[in-house]
Amino acid sequence: MGRNLKFSLPSRPFVARLTEQRRVRDQLVSVAGLVGRPVRLTDDVEVGRLVDVVVRWSGERYPAVTGLVARVGRRRAFVPIGDVAVLTGAVVTLSSSRLDVRDFERRDSEVVLMVDIVDHQLVDIDGVQVVRASDLYLANVTGQVRLVGVEVGVRSLLRRLGPARWRAHATPDRVIDWADIHTLGGGGAMGADRPNRELRRLRAGDLADLLEALAQPQRRHLVNALDNDMAADALEEMDQDQRDAVLRNLGPDRAAAIVADMEPDEAAEALRDLDDAERERIVERLPEAATTAVRTILGYRDHSAGGIMTTIVVLARPQETVAVVIERLGEFAEHRFDIDAVLVVDDDGRLVDDISLFELVTTPRDQPVGGLVGPPWPIVIGPEAGIDEIIDAVVSNRRGSVVVAGDDGRPLGRIMADDVVDALTPANRRLHREVGEQ
Amino acid sequence: MRLDQRVRRQLRRRLGVLAVIGPGLIAANAGNDAGGIATYASAGAQYAYRTLFVMALVTIALVVVQEMAARIGATTGNGLVSLIREQFSLRVATFSIVCLLAANLGLVVSEFAGIGAAMELLGVSRYIAVPVIAVGVWAVVAFGSYRYAERVFILVSLVFFAYPIAAVLGHPHWREAATNTVVPHLLANRSFLFLTVALIGTTITPYMQLYQTAAVVERGASSSDLRAIRIDTITGSVFANLISMAIIVATAAAIGGRGPLTSAADAAQALEPVAGSSAKTIFAVGLLGASLLAAAVVPLATSYALAEAIGVERSVSRRFRDAKVFMGLFTGQIVIGAAISLAPGNLIDLLINMQFLNGLITPVLLTFILILANRHKLMGPNTNTPAFRILATICTVTVAILAVVVAAQTVLGWTGQ
Repeated sequence: MGRNLKFSLPSRPFVARLTEQRRVRDQLVSVAGLVGRPVRLTDDVEVGRLVDVVVRWSGERYPAVTGLVARVGRRRAFVPIGDVAVLTGAVVTLSSSRLDVRDFERRDSEVVLMVDIVDHQLVDIDGVQVVRASDLYLANVTGQVRLVGVEVGVRSLLRRLGPARWRAHATPDRVIDWADIHTLGGGGAMGADRPNRELRRLRAGDLADLLEALAQPQRRHLVNALDNDMAADALEEMDQDQRDAVLRNLGPDRAAAIVADMEPDEAAEALRDLDDAERERIVERLPEAATTAVRTILGYRDHSAGGIMTTIVVLARPQETVAVVIERLGEFAEHRFDIDAVLVVDDDGRLVDDISLFELVTTPRDQPVGGLVGPPWPIVIGPEAGIDEIIDAVVSNRRGSVVVAGDDGRPLGRIMADDVVDALTPANRRLHREVGEQ
Repeated sequence: MRLDQRVRRQLRRRLGVLAVIGPGLIAANAGNDAGGIATYASAGAQYAYRTLFVMALVTIALVVVQEMAARIGATTGNGLVSLIREQFSLRVATFSIVCLLAANLGLVVSEFAGIGAAMELLGVSRYIAVPVIAVGVWAVVAFGSYRYAERVFILVSLVFFAYPIAAVLGHPHWREAATNTVVPHLLANRSFLFLTVALIGTTITPYMQLYQTAAVVERGASSSDLRAIRIDTITGSVFANLISMAIIVATAAAIGGRGPLTSAADAAQALEPVAGSSAKTIFAVGLLGASLLAAAVVPLATSYALAEAIGVERSVSRRFRDAKVFMGLFTGQIVIGAAISLAPGNLIDLLINMQFLNGLITPVLLTFILILANRHKLMGPNTNTPAFRILATICTVTVAILAVVVAAQTVLGWTGQ
């Protein structure tokens, strides 16, 4: 389905990655390495031990650190970043002796790094993969300490497992820039969906792979970060069983909004396997036109011509001019991948001929399309035709599509060659799914 | 839509009911693999009906544990290993995951031992059969379409449903069997306790909990499905243990009281009331099917869970043989499993020892499952109720005490000799 091409923008559009700058790379501070470090007032006065790092979660590309959590006696105190004089991998020194020793409580707009992000799953948009943060890196960027990168290497896991002194030296191994990270929900402020705009760079197939790699709650977060159009394209590319699970979990309103953005044949395929009640809840929320189209297709057996056809067709009367018909095609822009010809019908709506777009554009605009009617006549199949009959028709038609029409001769829809390819592709083409279904 | 999916879809429509009662049944019956059969048969051979009471208690524990595992899956939508990584500190998580890896490796060893035993019954030396089959299993998973092979293995392993029939036809002492099931008793000798831990280990396998959670998650089940999931786990666990008890009864009727099981050929005698002279062949074919199934599934599931917990490569690589960590883990388990199963010595002993190893690790994993299911922040309204918490804690603690006592006895036994 060439449809997903609409997302293949250049892979790195004009965003400077902080972790690619030498100045930043040289001063990365490992968050896991900071944990357990003494927090000092002066060189020999220790006030406590560092427990965690707090950042502000407001949609900035690189979240700013607002403070540290330190264990002071038996309490966990919050130290505002303004009171920190020195913050390096090995030394944390405060500039103020005032210390608020009330127990730390996370505010709604904050994220606590070791609790909320480290050891949790994240989406690496640049590498198109689901990763798990084994460490995070901070850096001082124009006077402010910010979260700039994620470590996903196995080495930093081993470093964290070992004794504390191993942790002092951060050894950046596999660092992903924070600008390329999409988070998948979690505690506190992370519960709110804050889509990373970089997600738009992903192709539908990539998104489908990411969704398949995630567990249900994380999937919901990722889908919620996508607009309906992208979500529809991604779901169309997903494995049927997993797509069913996603639709089931999204709730009928959002599911209907996404399905409404699919072509009718894809929508019907996505809904076919749900329980009757689940399917009905979604279908009844679709826009009226879509409801009718989807119900029509669902009325046919799923591997019959009626079950895989698209009901989007462009009709023309013989007396209409080429110019009028071409203008009408413009209204179907969003379905452009499902249209390769125009159906000419008589006054009763019965099929007269199938005119390819090539024929149309090479004919003078002021001619009536009726002039193009003539042999070779289109090969028409009925909605109950099986897969073999469909293949025969596509092959002998020597065209990209065949027309499906009822006994009364009225066209019902069209089957594109790629629908046939889909129907024939064996599931084991993609091995990782097969195993996921153990 | 793909041809293969269509077949599955049609099956699902026609067998609607069967599709609903799914993961619990499969998960619990995974216990009836090579190790399970060896252990149940050995229990029947050595102690006749005496271990049935243990099995009755184990059934309760199994229901409790599998229900928790399923509920965790339905509530969180995440697998057990992922949850452990996210919910516990890295060191604690690593400890539990290493335990799980050891338990599952023990299972892989027993599956290859099962393959070896089955092939020897069929007249092929295990020193030839096991390496060849190990390479075969590896290749089918890495290059082939494992799903088709899996169906064949499942079908073949259904042979073991012959056990309940054999149990009836073998004219067991029903009264003795019933009394031993209901009346509480334990024999205080070391080998009985050892066998008890092995029985627990093979019936409440950490792998089964892993599978149960994953299967519930994979279906996209949610809290609203909890009722159906509960019914599924309870029927699945009870059904699986009825089969296990049938194996004990059938073997007890055939060769009960003659002392420990020494060979697979002895175990096969239990099927004679059904299969007559072909009992040995039928037993071997069933054992082979069950072992082949698990020999591929257990290392696969383990590698998946681990790769996801580490956080690498469970992702976009369309062909998983491109994923180095994943393939390394999978290959390593097959190689180690096959190699250990080739060690000289009695295969039945090796099988039972591996179930004992699982029995030692089971309480560790149970503790983690219990903590997760008790954690209100994670489970919300589906957190363990106080009564359930007490029941589950009793199960876990009992299993743990037994494991520690028998482990201590075994270690003392080594040093004492």
